[in-house]
Amino acid sequence: MKKLEFKGIKFFIFVLISYILLYIFDTTNAIKSLDRSFDTLLTLIPIFIFIIILTALINYFLKPKQIVKHFGEDSGKAGIFYSLVGGILSHGPMYAWYGMLKDMREHGVKDGLIVTFLYSRAIKLPLLPLMVAIFGITYTIVLNIYIIIFSIIQGKIMDRLK
Amino acid sequence: MKTKKPTIKKAFINSLLNFISILPMMLSIIGIVSIFQIYITPDMLSTLFGYSNFTDLLAGTLSGAIANGHGALSFIIADGLKNEGVSIYALSTFTLAWVSLGFVQLPAEAAVFGVRFTAIRNILAIFSTILITYLTIVTVGIVS
Repeated sequence: MKKLEFKGIKFFIFVLISYILLYIFDTTNAIKSLDRSFDTLLTLIPIFIFIIILTALINYFLKPKQIVKHFGEDSGKAGIFYSLVGGILSHGPMYAWYGMLKDMREHGVKDGLIVTFLYSRAIKLPLLPLMVAIFGITYTIVLNIYIIIFSIIQGKIMDRLK
Repeated sequence: MKTKKPTIKKAFINSLLNFISILPMMLSIIGIVSIFQIYITPDMLSTLFGYSNFTDLLAGTLSGAIANGHGALSFIIADGLKNEGVSIYALSTFTLAWVSLGFVQLPAEAAVFGVRFTAIRNILAIFSTILITYLTIVTVGIVS
């Protein structure tokens, strides 16, 4: 079984101290921030559950060899395609996906594909109507095409720099 | 010889442990983003824009990367800024940086992926955000 190693403990202590100081010097905003954190956490719970289940299913159905085949060094265009689709369909904040990506990276997923996945998350399908309302239909279409192109370019550059 | 397949239970426990291991990091990000959202108001953001298209590109990217949060919120703020006459350069980079960058989550990203990966990814994302906005505006100008 996997050993439990906590990540970001120092950062957690820093945030905790920030809240304590904030509470001492600006109690109202400290409570407001805490309330907002709690609300955010509540809205993220379904996404967290989804990611835990998805990670488990990937680990159960895909053997490390298969993960490497689809997302490893020789994954080619198919790897890029899966990363793009995965990024576009993924919900929630970026950091919610760190655990799953870390796990997949340990199984041999290319850094470039992680970069492609993370940037293509800028395309938010449920938010497209809002985007159209603010920027117009033409702008939204062109912008999203460029996001796809630049997600791929960033992935390629990351792999070149490795 | 037959290879032993991990049980679904073991896969779930591993996945859960993986999630628990990054929980302090995620709680920290949620906490710090909330502080930013309470202190950085749309009114404060609007004062950063309107000097030139170039500075709007930079200010939009920077403020989007600092503010961060739920994607829908960026569009609600952008709509408010649009009504105040903020340029499309600023609005576009702001909403794009909001979802693709995130300065407050840099320590967490570095803890998970390493400093080198995080530095390269974020530098690439910053340049991409600026270039995407510029190219989109130019392309839309040509098309329409």
